[in-house]
Amino acid sequence: MSFEELEHTADARVRVRAGTLEGLFSEAGRALMQVMYGRPGRDGLSRSVFVQGDDLESLMHAFLSEILFITEVDGLVISGAEVRVGEGIVEGVVRGEPFSRDIHNAGRGVKGISYSGLSIVRDKESYILDVIFDV
Amino acid sequence: MTMLPGIQRVREFEWQVPVGYVPGMRVPGVFFLSETLAGTLEEGAVQQLANVATMPGIVARSLAMPDIHWGYGFPSGGVAAFSLDEGVISPGGVGFDINCGVRLLATPLREEDLVKKRELVERLFKAVPTGVGGKSTLRLSGHELDRMLLEGSSWAVGAGFGIDEDVRMCEQQGCMKEAETAAVSQKARQRGMPQSGTLGSGNHFLEIQVVKEVYQPEVARAFGISAGQVCIMIHCGSRGLGHQVCTDHLRTLEAATRKYGITLPDRQLACAPIDSPEGKAYFGAMAASANYAWANRQVIMHYTRKVMEELYGVPYKEMRLVYDVAHNVAKIEEHVVGGTTMKVCVHRKGATRAFGPGAPDLPPAYAGVGQPVLIPGSMGTSSFLLHGTQGAMEKTFGSTCHGAGRVMSRTQAKKRLTGKEIRDALGQEGIIVRAPSDAAIADEAPEVYKPSMEVVRVVHEVGISRLVARLEPLGVIKG
Repeated sequence: MSFEELEHTADARVRVRAGTLEGLFSEAGRALMQVMYGRPGRDGLSRSVFVQGDDLESLMHAFLSEILFITEVDGLVISGAEVRVGEGIVEGVVRGEPFSRDIHNAGRGVKGISYSGLSIVRDKESYILDVIFDV
Repeated sequence: MTMLPGIQRVREFEWQVPVGYVPGMRVPGVFFLSETLAGTLEEGAVQQLANVATMPGIVARSLAMPDIHWGYGFPSGGVAAFSLDEGVISPGGVGFDINCGVRLLATPLREEDLVKKRELVERLFKAVPTGVGGKSTLRLSGHELDRMLLEGSSWAVGAGFGIDEDVRMCEQQGCMKEAETAAVSQKARQRGMPQSGTLGSGNHFLEIQVVKEVYQPEVARAFGISAGQVCIMIHCGSRGLGHQVCTDHLRTLEAATRKYGITLPDRQLACAPIDSPEGKAYFGAMAASANYAWANRQVIMHYTRKVMEELYGVPYKEMRLVYDVAHNVAKIEEHVVGGTTMKVCVHRKGATRAFGPGAPDLPPAYAGVGQPVLIPGSMGTSSFLLHGTQGAMEKTFGSTCHGAGRVMSRTQAKKRLTGKEIRDALGQEGIIVRAPSDAAIADEAPEVYKPSMEVVRVVHEVGISRLVARLEPLGVIKG
């Protein structure tokens, strides 16, 4: 599993790869934390997560929007997720650590997850997500 | 000079994207750009401008200002008006940061009065919560949040964060009456509660500035501005509340797009007829978010005035709000289209209203000169004060640019200079920068933006707003 930041003039464009669909969701959550805080969180706390969507892209959009909500409102910096991707749903648990201004201060605020440029494709080895975060 | 293929030059600064540039365009696209800026134009931005032209009920043309750049949904710098009968409303035409905007506070101080500048910057940095995770010192009840969402600036002034005159000096008196709290989700409220009165991060800032050049003394006088005067500019928006409103309604409008049989080239342009239940719900929630943003800027201005009062003994009421503008918003306005006056829903995404002399919704003191237009510079560079014009009413649904527009990605920017290097370089020019982290500074280095002087020169030459004054930064509080 991995993620990298691609070129984008105004916003943060990220490419995420994972061998499984479940892994793709987890790694996408970590990528969002990397952009927001300069690094993903560490394990410690956990919280349940449940989102719905019409297709894979909508599910990813809903999942990342939910992570954004959790990190802002609950102050949880996500380290990863164990989720099940079912028909129209993603459910499971996200793990992480409490937000601290002293540690999580090397990133930039993300306002929202854009549908523009959101794609999920599959090659021989992995699932690949491209997504733009509005910063 | 280089211009992307398929684009036609109409006038010196006016370019047309013809119908057919992307399939399904209902009207042409038009943008304003100088030859100097032509090299900064991204194909993705033009594609987005053309995508907007495919939306149902779009009137006349899909527009972009000279700070156009690749965004999501609409390009940043995009303006489009939709007929109320056949048109649509879309969060993609407003953006996540609903009513991101700018206000300018004029103080009676001159540049030479500004002793203890570092202390001023430090005090402001302490008084105004900033950055990722910055939390408000306000403790709002649910009822107070409702009032903030319904009343905007007036709520803040009533709660002791300003004076009555402030409300009159905001676009739309700092309140969109169409606000519907029922359309604002619990999640949005949860995000908004702890963030009221905070600056946020990214390109948001609070800047101590000095009026360096005045181009039109008479208009400047009407705005209460003169050379050498110290001003304070505040740039921020509706924080997590507005971001969540956009996220929530994007989902419902995506379903609505299918329900109403609308075909779109980009899911971020999800939309619904303006008078449909889904369209009305988004409009009501967006208006509530806009009100939150006006109240937010009002509270931040209050903190600023208190610091100035304590440090320099300037009486609170002698620090006058020049104006407050929104640059991410959709509004119902009257415009003349093809010789006929009609009500339209104008979307401005990264564009500023620039109503000219005699237009509705201007404070009486500005009725003869047009509204003040505030164009924030990038960190460490000039900001500009302009005024709205009749030309804007005729050409751009009363709109102009909103800023410099980025030309370099954040990843590139960070490879060039560190935050500390930028802070030191600006310090040598006498500009003190204070931010929660050096990373935040590196992200917003002046060179990642188009030269703002060139952007405002274009809108001035095209006549969609005219230059009044240039302000230089003395101290910057970065989000």
